[in-house]
Amino acid sequence: MKNFLKTLIPIDIAKGLALTGKRFGQVFFTANRRKVRLHNTEEYPERPVQVAPRFRGRLQMLKDEAGEVKCVVCMACQKVCPTGVITIEGGKKEGRKTKLPVRYDFEMERCIFCEFCVESCGFDAIILNHQFELAVYDREDLSIGMDGAQNMFVPSPVAKFSVADEE
Amino acid sequence: MTPDMTLTQTLVIALLQAIAVILLIFIIVPLTIFAERKVLGFLQQRLGATRVAGGHVGITGFMNKRMWGMGKLPFLSYWRGIPMLVADVLKLFIKEDIVPTKADKWVFLFSPALSMIAAITVFAAVSFYPGALFHFPKAFPLIGGLPFNGVLADVNAGLLLILGIASVGVYGIVLGGWASNSKYPLLGGLRSAAQIVSYEVPLTLSLLAPVVLAGTLNFNDLTRRLATELPIWAVLPMIVGFLIYLTCGFAECNRVPFDMPEAETELVAGFHTEYAGIRFALFYLAEYINMMVAAAIASAFFLGGPFLAPFGLHKFLVGVPFLGAPNALFMVAKVIFVLFVFIWVRGTIPRYRYDQIMAVGWKYLIPLTLVNLLAAAAIRFAC
Repeated sequence: MKNFLKTLIPIDIAKGLALTGKRFGQVFFTANRRKVRLHNTEEYPERPVQVAPRFRGRLQMLKDEAGEVKCVVCMACQKVCPTGVITIEGGKKEGRKTKLPVRYDFEMERCIFCEFCVESCGFDAIILNHQFELAVYDREDLSIGMDGAQNMFVPSPVAKFSVADEE
Repeated sequence: MTPDMTLTQTLVIALLQAIAVILLIFIIVPLTIFAERKVLGFLQQRLGATRVAGGHVGITGFMNKRMWGMGKLPFLSYWRGIPMLVADVLKLFIKEDIVPTKADKWVFLFSPALSMIAAITVFAAVSFYPGALFHFPKAFPLIGGLPFNGVLADVNAGLLLILGIASVGVYGIVLGGWASNSKYPLLGGLRSAAQIVSYEVPLTLSLLAPVVLAGTLNFNDLTRRLATELPIWAVLPMIVGFLIYLTCGFAECNRVPFDMPEAETELVAGFHTEYAGIRFALFYLAEYINMMVAAAIASAFFLGGPFLAPFGLHKFLVGVPFLGAPNALFMVAKVIFVLFVFIWVRGTIPRYRYDQIMAVGWKYLIPLTLVNLLAAAAIRFAC
């Protein structure tokens, strides 16, 4: 009997309609206002997107306050990497107790952005930054080393997205 | 045809009315398609369509480049997705029209037209306003001084005509599904036949309650009597009937809680899988025109039509200056509101399973409509 009445009187449907109706009203009246945002999507190419804090973007090396590379060449990231995209060679430098990377190659072609390297790092020397516009025209651009215009310490150049950028 | 009009005059006025109705359809249908994108987006906390294209060629491309250069959003294609109004319909019409080799050619070509004809013809008997909307000025050569009525065919059995023609629409779907010579359209067509035939019964029975209360089948008389001459107790069967009619209307229009004929998850696209280009457009537009018809009938029979107050409560408003008089704008506003409810429900309720649809139709809606009809008859008898 209770089931029968529940089917007969559509309270659940009314509740659902009330919820979506409320959402409709909220978004409808604030869709064009930039300060009040009640919708969850972004108008992406024109407006910059704020990604979640734990977003996994491109691998990037960090430097400490003195401008020294934080990496100590413990090889943890190279060992843990499932696709083997990290290649490290260590070296020495005067006045520094620990080892120093002379070569840190990252091949983004095969990277699966699993963040194992960052988790394995005991010195917080690498992060995955918040960059996701990683498409390139040349395959060589995906191999990133410690020097050159596109290196491990700075984000990759952002891809072009609109007619305006071409001119 | 009133006695003081010649046959030619009647035919010319009917032609003008038909053109007006078709114009109204082809204004409201793209608006509904556009509204479906935007409203569905808002319901799901998205923005819906906000742009059409960032094209590089033609006038729009030139303007887009200029406006990008000035650091502004190109308004021609980006202005809150408004160009989508044109783009949606245009896309359907410029695509290639493909006929499968093994298809039953003539039936395949004919069935979208059948669906469309059935959808449009119903509007002949739908009344937007009782009496004349306006009179032609005397300066007109043939038809000067004659009235332009709010209804095309003011027939005595208007409701019967509407229901009869509307049920022809299912032939378009079934024949289209069968003639495609492919398994998914066939299954879609069969499901559609079963579903629409099942829901035709509670739909008609739910419309019978207002007919019993008003005691006529003529569209104008029915709207007027429902709005002004009902006893107060008639509100109850009217509200129940409205909810049942709306439910069956969703099923008749193959809208989302009951979209078995299309069933994107299991039947690709149902009966119109093999259709492309303008023939698909005919099916697509027929679906939206059917929505308009369902909305028009719901607003005329249950929401008071051109009279403002719904559910037969208008008699308290009679005599109020603007609100008391019948107005075609009220009718249009109600049609638009019911169309919004169609989209609202689509954005809220998930699909029913096929057996659930049949169970709801036969086990709940038909007994409920019968009880409702009984209540309406009792009220009619008592008051």
